[in-house]
Amino acid sequence: MRKDRPSLRRRCFTLSLLLACASTYALPVKAFPHPQQSNTKEELLALPGEIGRSGGRLIVPLRSEPKTLNPLIAADSSSREVIGAMQADLVHINRATQLTEAALVKSWKISADGLQYTLTLRQGLRFSDGHPLDADDVLFTFRVYLDENVHATQRDLLIVGGKPIAVRKVDAQTLVFQFAKPYGVEERLFDGFAILPRHLLEKPYQEGRLGQLWAPSTPPGEWAGLGPFRLKEYIPGQKLVLERNPYYWKTDAKGNRLPYLEELVFLFVPSADAQVLRFQSGETDIITRLGAENFSALGRQQRGYTMADAGPGLEYNFLFFNLNDLGEKSSADLARKQKWFRDVKFRQAVSAAIDRDAIVRLVYQGRGAALWGPVTPGNRRWVNAAIPHTPRSLDRARTLLKEAGFSWSTVPDGDSALLDPDGKPVEFSILTSSSNADRTKMATLLQDDLKQLGLRVQVVPLEFRSLLDRVTQTKEYDSCLLGLASFDADPNSDLNVWLSNGATHLWNPSQSHPATPWEAEIDRLMEQQLSTPGFDQRKRLYDRVQEILAEDQPMIFLASPDILVGAKNSIANFRPAVLEPYALWNVEQLYFRNSRENASR
Amino acid sequence: MRYLIRRTLHAVFLLLGVSLLTFLFSALTPGNYFDEMRLNPQISPETVAALRAQYQLDRPLPVRYARWLNAAVHGQLGFSFAYNSPVAPLLWIRARNTLFLTVTATLLAWLLALPLGVWSAARFGRLPDRVISWTTASLLVIPDLVLALGLLILAVRTGWFPTGGLLSVGFDELSALQKLGDLARHMALPVVALVLATLPMLVRHVRASVAEVLDAPFLRAALGHGIPYPKLLYRYALRAAANPLLSLFGFSIGTLLSGSLLVEVVMSWPGLGPLLLESILARDLYVVIGGVLLSMIFLVGGNLFADFLLYWADPRIRTAASAK
Repeated sequence: MRKDRPSLRRRCFTLSLLLACASTYALPVKAFPHPQQSNTKEELLALPGEIGRSGGRLIVPLRSEPKTLNPLIAADSSSREVIGAMQADLVHINRATQLTEAALVKSWKISADGLQYTLTLRQGLRFSDGHPLDADDVLFTFRVYLDENVHATQRDLLIVGGKPIAVRKVDAQTLVFQFAKPYGVEERLFDGFAILPRHLLEKPYQEGRLGQLWAPSTPPGEWAGLGPFRLKEYIPGQKLVLERNPYYWKTDAKGNRLPYLEELVFLFVPSADAQVLRFQSGETDIITRLGAENFSALGRQQRGYTMADAGPGLEYNFLFFNLNDLGEKSSADLARKQKWFRDVKFRQAVSAAIDRDAIVRLVYQGRGAALWGPVTPGNRRWVNAAIPHTPRSLDRARTLLKEAGFSWSTVPDGDSALLDPDGKPVEFSILTSSSNADRTKMATLLQDDLKQLGLRVQVVPLEFRSLLDRVTQTKEYDSCLLGLASFDADPNSDLNVWLSNGATHLWNPSQSHPATPWEAEIDRLMEQQLSTPGFDQRKRLYDRVQEILAEDQPMIFLASPDILVGAKNSIANFRPAVLEPYALWNVEQLYFRNSRENASR
Repeated sequence: MRYLIRRTLHAVFLLLGVSLLTFLFSALTPGNYFDEMRLNPQISPETVAALRAQYQLDRPLPVRYARWLNAAVHGQLGFSFAYNSPVAPLLWIRARNTLFLTVTATLLAWLLALPLGVWSAARFGRLPDRVISWTTASLLVIPDLVLALGLLILAVRTGWFPTGGLLSVGFDELSALQKLGDLARHMALPVVALVLATLPMLVRHVRASVAEVLDAPFLRAALGHGIPYPKLLYRYALRAAANPLLSLFGFSIGTLLSGSLLVEVVMSWPGLGPLLLESILARDLYVVIGGVLLSMIFLVGGNLFADFLLYWADPRIRTAASAK
């Protein structure tokens, strides 16, 4: 018995320690005061579609924590995804139709010369703290986005024709945006510019503190937005909880105010595999950004959830060669290789030797699309369907290489080795990101494809930032396999990739003059479509850009993965799109079918 | 006293050296936080350059180190590029979760290791000892990662435990008892993973130390005087064998912050592990340096504590120190 006493004491101590810790983590819930709902003047937006039922808590995993809730400085995808559910823009791109639709404005008018946009705000709208929205908030928003001292990441989008857009208030609901040049993007420009509450932010802006505001740990009372959800609670390392914004300005077809969900919880789950496990065990309701392997694994053992393949997204993966003009800084070895890389026939031969269908089959398990141009089939409006989908042809590749002066020699082990016009063997390396398993696999497949041409390729997986340093700073590389995901379906989102003076013109960035005639032609076409109004004319110009890129192959386009998502069967109105945010773009319309599930959450 | 002052001074110099080396290695690694922005076609190089200047990444390395050291002395560990906020609170909130996990696991591991090690030593060479030896050897060769993944598979297959995190989403709505249960269920797998990873080493050390002491003449004499065997083991043998174990205990304290990083990442525990991994990959320089420094403080502090304990527990060290 004597022995029992200390052990019981120890047990009690452990229990009380655990209880104390448990209560430490039970942080108090901070909430806004309840709103006064009656507002007869509100011009709400009624959405068509299935009528849902209110309530419930949707749990969504995030790969990393949102770094900020401040739309001005948000640069990472997690912050953007969260902010997307908390903020609203003047005009919005419908992620399903890829077309624009009125959001905070009820209408807009573009002048005949395309230089002046007149936008009329909906009446009676309020921020999530109940404060009314008017034209001064919009004026303030664009003033801060354009202020160089704020370092807003989207500022460059508001510089048209080298000059910032001028914004003028006409009355409390009407604003005029003045452009220096006609802007082909037209009203799509306004998508993604969250309208900020002047009543909360003007003072910090004048004090120069705007960039430091709205960290996720901001007290909910100091934050306001116009999106379907508002800030409720943030627990570092664990979760961000949003609650329904009672002032949201959208309703369903029956006039019920959206969103249906009472809470939206972003759970921080740091790895893709951990996300799969938590979805599988029912701890999260939706999963996005799935790789093909995980998608298949989840699809095989569906337990109360449905997996959906939304089709190819806007990500395009490509191989590009180092075409930088490095002058004296270039090593003799790289200078020798650059002679081949600059020869269009060499690039075309490499492209012809690549088995794109095998990439889709082996890397994406068939859930992707082979690419011959930069625009993926997911971008339905802008893809140039006339670009030929030439199947792999080693004969064509050999013919092209012969025409370019290359030859073959038989090496001792029996394989033939490709020799350049100077009789030296053709060998180069492909840099790829070691953290992206799909691209590493792609590079290995390319290595195998090119070996059959007698080309010796070394695959060099590098940590992503070291790779970027090599490609964008030191420029010490032969070729690189990368991927870019367009932000929007409009070609202007990739403007800096195609313009020769663009910083993301990866194969030879920031040129003072176009290095080649075809780059000069692309520059001309892109500039022209930038200021051409009307979709059809712009499409013709961009089709030509796609043709030039497919012909001259500065990037050898490879494949685009499908957008793969999953959701519990109880979630209704779930319609994944190929534009970000893939699953939450209509979060205000999502609801739980099962009322019991609602109640239990 | 001079012994203690000397050890403390050593610790301070060690921390200075580590901070300098970490700063140097982190700063000289190719790439920086803003490189990924360069790949965003919507952000101009001028904006990236302005951000670099804002965070003083364009200043020379010695200037940056001097500024950081000055701030660190005043308790600030710099500014995170990614989180746009001071590093110290970022680290502290997560370090709290890490400590909660590792202190529990370390205590549990020691509580199991002492009786198991002593029991094994008392039956040195016999079947129970061999079983323990084989089990600990098997556990030692299994990497932490495999252990953690195996436990996760168990969680998914059985549904008995959550597959990650610290608390359930609806934690606030639970009763006090349910909260305790929820926390225990979330802690169970990471704690088991950590205990299984550290237990074999501790058991083998305890076993070896105690087995060595058990042959000592004074213990044979004590046994001959009729002192009961359990009392002999736990009161006299364990005490005599404590010297290497105290050093090991100091080392255990030293690994409190850094020992669980891998398990935290695999099991989505909201501690320092996921933050440091993300920061290293994103080149969030000051968070990495802050994290390494914090771990070093624990390691140095743990060793210092072990030195103090040894000084207190072992008269030979006291006499040697005073003789000098």
